[in-house]
Amino acid sequence: MEKIKVTIDGEVQEVEKGLSVLDIASQAGIEIPTLCHHPDLERYAACRVCLVEVKNARNPMPACVTQVMDGMAIETRTEEIDNIRRVVLELLLSEHYGDCVAPCKMACPAGIDIQGQIALIADGRYEESLIRIKESNPLPLVCGRVCPRFCEQKCRRNLLEGPVGINMLKRFVADYDMNSDGPYTPDLKPSTGKKVAVVGGGPAGLSAAYYLVQEGHQVDIYEAHPKLGGMLRYGIPEYRLPKATLDKEIEGITKLCGKIEINTRLGKDYTIDSLKKDGYDAVFVAIGAQSSQSMRVDGEDAPGVLSGIDFLRDVVIGNETGLGKKVAVVGGGNTAMDAARTALRMGAEKVIVAYRRSRAEMPANAEEVEQAEEEGVELAFLAAPAGIKVADGRVSGMECIKMELGEPDASGRRRPVPIKGSEYTMELDTIIAAIGQSVDNTSLPQDGAIELNRGYPVVDSETMLTSIEGVFSGGDCTTGPATAIEAIGAGKRAAAYIDMYLSGKPVIAIDKPYSCSKGELYEVRDSEFADVPTQARVDQETLAADIRKRDFAEIELGLTEEQALAETKRCLQCGCQDIYECKLREYATEYKVDDSRYGARQYLMPRVKDAQNFINRDYNKCITCGMCVRMCQEVRGVGAVSFINRGSATVVGTAFGATLEEAGCKFCAACVDACPTGALLDDKNRWRELPAHEVATICPYCGVGCQLILETKNNKIIRSVPDDNGPANLGQACVKGRFGLTFVNSDERLTTPLIKKNGKFAEATWDEALDLVAKKFAEYDGSQFVAISSAKATNEENYLMQKFARGVMGTNSVDHCARL
Amino acid sequence: MGKTSDFKDIKEKAIKSYESWRQSEPVRIIVGAGTCGRAAGADAVIEALKDELERRQIKAAVTRVGCIGLCYLEPLVDVVKQGKPRVCYGNVTPDKVSSIIDGYIVGDDPQSDMLLGSIGDEAIDGVPKLFDMPVLKPQVRIATRNCGFVDPEDINQYIARGGYTGLDKALKMTQEEVIEEVSKSGLRGRGGAGAPTGWKWNLCRQSSGDKKYIICNADEGDPGAFMDRSVLESDPHTVLEGMLIGAYAMGATDGYIYCRAEYPQAIKRLNQAMVQMEEYGLLGENILGSGLNFHLKIKEGAGAFVCGEETALMMSIEGNRGMPRPRPPFPAQSGLWGYPTNINNVETWANVSAIMEKGGQWYASYGTEKSKGTKTFALAGKVNCTGLIEVPMGISLHEIVYDIGGGIPDGKKFKAVQTGGPSGGFIPANLDHLTADYESLASAGSIMGSGAMVVMDEDTCAVDMARYFLTFTQSESCGKCVPCRVGTGEMLGILEKLCADESKPEDIDRLMQLCTTVSRGSLCALGGTAPNPVLTSLRYFKDEYDAHVNEHRCPSLMCKELISFYIDPAKCKACMICARNCPSEAIKGGKKLIHVIDQDKCIRCGVCLEKCPAKFSAVIKLSGDKMDVPDEPIPVGEA
Repeated sequence: MEKIKVTIDGEVQEVEKGLSVLDIASQAGIEIPTLCHHPDLERYAACRVCLVEVKNARNPMPACVTQVMDGMAIETRTEEIDNIRRVVLELLLSEHYGDCVAPCKMACPAGIDIQGQIALIADGRYEESLIRIKESNPLPLVCGRVCPRFCEQKCRRNLLEGPVGINMLKRFVADYDMNSDGPYTPDLKPSTGKKVAVVGGGPAGLSAAYYLVQEGHQVDIYEAHPKLGGMLRYGIPEYRLPKATLDKEIEGITKLCGKIEINTRLGKDYTIDSLKKDGYDAVFVAIGAQSSQSMRVDGEDAPGVLSGIDFLRDVVIGNETGLGKKVAVVGGGNTAMDAARTALRMGAEKVIVAYRRSRAEMPANAEEVEQAEEEGVELAFLAAPAGIKVADGRVSGMECIKMELGEPDASGRRRPVPIKGSEYTMELDTIIAAIGQSVDNTSLPQDGAIELNRGYPVVDSETMLTSIEGVFSGGDCTTGPATAIEAIGAGKRAAAYIDMYLSGKPVIAIDKPYSCSKGELYEVRDSEFADVPTQARVDQETLAADIRKRDFAEIELGLTEEQALAETKRCLQCGCQDIYECKLREYATEYKVDDSRYGARQYLMPRVKDAQNFINRDYNKCITCGMCVRMCQEVRGVGAVSFINRGSATVVGTAFGATLEEAGCKFCAACVDACPTGALLDDKNRWRELPAHEVATICPYCGVGCQLILETKNNKIIRSVPDDNGPANLGQACVKGRFGLTFVNSDERLTTPLIKKNGKFAEATWDEALDLVAKKFAEYDGSQFVAISSAKATNEENYLMQKFARGVMGTNSVDHCARL
Repeated sequence: MGKTSDFKDIKEKAIKSYESWRQSEPVRIIVGAGTCGRAAGADAVIEALKDELERRQIKAAVTRVGCIGLCYLEPLVDVVKQGKPRVCYGNVTPDKVSSIIDGYIVGDDPQSDMLLGSIGDEAIDGVPKLFDMPVLKPQVRIATRNCGFVDPEDINQYIARGGYTGLDKALKMTQEEVIEEVSKSGLRGRGGAGAPTGWKWNLCRQSSGDKKYIICNADEGDPGAFMDRSVLESDPHTVLEGMLIGAYAMGATDGYIYCRAEYPQAIKRLNQAMVQMEEYGLLGENILGSGLNFHLKIKEGAGAFVCGEETALMMSIEGNRGMPRPRPPFPAQSGLWGYPTNINNVETWANVSAIMEKGGQWYASYGTEKSKGTKTFALAGKVNCTGLIEVPMGISLHEIVYDIGGGIPDGKKFKAVQTGGPSGGFIPANLDHLTADYESLASAGSIMGSGAMVVMDEDTCAVDMARYFLTFTQSESCGKCVPCRVGTGEMLGILEKLCADESKPEDIDRLMQLCTTVSRGSLCALGGTAPNPVLTSLRYFKDEYDAHVNEHRCPSLMCKELISFYIDPAKCKACMICARNCPSEAIKGGKKLIHVIDQDKCIRCGVCLEKCPAKFSAVIKLSGDKMDVPDEPIPVGEA
């Protein structure tokens, strides 16, 4: 082959004549993006992201079709080329209507793969579902009970009958695992010899510890309280999160860790400096925000005035709380609800929650408020404390002033404004202030060694690095009081950056992959789920109010297996299955696109209705690259799909909107495998599960000998795809090879032989069965014997069958059904 | 008629047949009945003429011919009396035919208010010469030399006027000599791109292949362009002769005419012409005994603009969706079904026959240094004399608009001329000294294109015109490459926002960036040139874009969302005419009460402005401004 010299990105290369720029770039290890090129298809040059600059050419040239010539000089990444690629990608994304990542996962601060979690439950793979959750959240027993569920707020099912019970499902698998014989424990990587001190044993610290130990680092946890758990233990009442359950979850983490130092307080018993001196390579400060804020009214120091979190903590520890009989709880958050309901359980006769705004503005979960009311907690809205009355050395009443709502403030909630002259007095003996928390900044060195802002350590919002090298901080102590799941997310993220630091890499924010979204719930078009059958959300069993308020027994009892399985059917599987393979997403990330730049005209395609369940078509994700059209025409010779319309309205589809079946589709899925985006997908899968193994095999269905790759995980076939290197099929398969092999996962498969006794099949041993067959076969000779084997047997089995028939039985009457 | 191998015999026979027919008809009436003439009422005129002649028992032949280009004067009727020059009448209507018959056919007085002039060297006293008219005088007719003069359905007339002489000459030359002659003429592709024809032919000739194709691209699709249609309808043989010459020079045995199905008359005439050619041995095997075999088919296109792009055109002939493919390979290397193929536009082929008849040198004597010969243009828009013109290259735009086009109607100001259709650009009035040739138009950001030329006056909004052209390109994109498919739609979206007063300042930057990406990144010339109307309007009329975006004003008072109508209370005479005609009942008022337009109800159709009697002129159209008028009607005279 004749060789020529070309220069690509400044490097002179000796290459074969006749190759394209794309070919030689890939030989040189230079990746040129392309969205319409496929080695099996005629070169097409339509996507225009493969444009490169060729010296002396008038316009940028498509790398896929431009043949290299001697002396050619090519630049693959000039400013103009990058600009064109970016604009082209932005134009494509302006028409791309889909969710790369399901909105639930996007909303979860810990980034749990909720779609995967639910799909695995639906498949009966509870343990795997739990593992999938624990890849992002080490505390599913806790979160399954107390999570504020940002995920459910964003669930697209809100547009139908309400969100999927994501959290109940999480609890279901977490409880399943807890009650199983061997709860899941993650594998740890070999020891790195590095040591990390986690300061604070709350959700942030525990999460960081959990992920850091898995990377092979030694983690020691320092905790000021007698037990780990932080606010999970001392702030959340028993009836919502039983301590026994919490202990199990924490125990699962601490057993992987090194030292657990309890009752040791930062700033008193040790300092960050001393930790470093003790040989810790990195420190994660996650001390929470456990100091209560004052109400700033006179008389606050009087006996009978309690702080919400102190009260809750005292109840947990068993300390004397000082609670009376008539209690007012000031505040509208979850702590206020917890304090009010705990007060009831501690014997208070009357509990009123005084909140300065109205019900709509309450930060507490609506369900919490509802349950509190059911238990008899009274709510006083638009009531703010103005003073505290003291009589006989104890609180005797709270002066309140009525409020009205004014203009929205910075938080978007309407600001309460006092109404002059509306003061009144509530008679009571206890006031619990639950109006907010702050960091106990007595722990942190105030000498400027660590940079603080109003008591909170200053950190890089992404990497969580503080002003001190090797010291990271996250959770409530950097963000202010927030939720458990946010602290967990922070801990997980901190672990990733601490690991980055410990492996000697510079601590730089990891680029987030581009994710397309259909937008907020109100932005989703009306017709989106019009054809989805409705199914009511399941309710978990809950103790009745009059029973539960008597003690601290857990109120919510979790889902039954039947309920859980039913609830999984409600998941709309929003996240795109193509997420790991999508070229559009990959390039959008690489070229840092802004998908809002274009979109002056919007085209939305109707949902495709196909009766078959092999191929899922969503033309709102189609980039009209023609890969499917050409694959179907050029390679398969079928032509089931084609381009339709002209101009900007050009789309891919079947003639006259026929179903694929009507259009003559053979369901080989060559189009699915060629599609660079998620417009064409396997219809059966509920999410894209990455295989653990890939096994090459020969398709058993017929004699062609197509080589397939079986993607497997946990001894299950996830899917089968044709092998590009298969000598007989060169990357192609038919519907049987592509979709017909997952039957092996079926529950209905016989795994033990059955023998008919008295007209009924009964299980038998292999020996029994084989003896019986041999005995019966012996009654016949070749001319009386015909053998037919199943296409669902392997090739080896089929071979043996015919060998047996010919060699042993002496017949050539052998057949095999090549049916699905 | 038997086949003959000697062209001299054919020619003699044709002339004889034509002459004897001429001699046999004392009066011949020739009606311009191209699609343009018919649209203007030529069929009814012919009908009326025939009825009237029959009623009066006058022997006269009525012949349909094509178009001489004077669209604004259609229908045209010419009268030839034995021994007299041909006399031409314009804007003839059925009710006026008897006055022509009375005056000049029965009588001998050609004078009439419809008289345009005489045609031919001889003159009639008191009758001007048609070709001395300002609209015709600067024109040089080569591609259209026979248009309006031969009966397109009679091959003899074509031959009698010198037709197929060029082919005869060519067949006596070598292939190289023919190509040399074409090269010498300096002829460049008239489809728009302007590649030198001789060079292109040579590439195809040198390509090796078992078979070669030539194609006539008659997929004329620019809005406002009808040069090709006119030539095919008026003189199909000139194109067919050109193709035969090309087939010989390049060694092609098969040809296609790719003509849009919306041109039924052209297709009919081509088919008739081909039948006549076969009868004369001018098509098929061993043409004129030269050994040249050439078979020709007509492929009717379904009307996709992009099929005028050569690779898409070939896709379409092959039976696929018309989508361009990347070049190279060029058609000359690998074209129709993979064979070497040459594609030329109708007008190019029409010029070839003239060039071979009269010589390359002769052709090259017209035009400029780099753009030789003549070019046809379809002159349209806000100009007095609309029609098809053929002018020598290098004539100035000013001459075209003012001398040939007769200037702008209603005394309005000349604003710009748009050349090259949706692929071309705007050339502002202050650049009207630019000449019509490939280089000069390109230097102004436009293109020659196939010859559409749209004149705009001061009432035309540059933004709206750009929007209009983008509406066309975005719906005619083949949909293959991303910049064109999505980019033109996005550009249109921005332009629509601009015209609808919904734009933001950053839209202009986005528009510019899209122009660059679409023009630099598209697969074929459709996308590559689609931004031209936007780019040139931004270049020459940026102030109008700024006015739309920043001042919410349309300086041409054209964009509906940016204008408002008011009734001047000082001028309104309360006549109720506007109110009665208002389609949206937006005008309040009554007897002796001045009228007030309810701006919320007004749909800005402008009917009130149109209907308000000129002597009052009370309706005022404003943009970016408000007029202080009473909210409710008040008695006349109190304002």
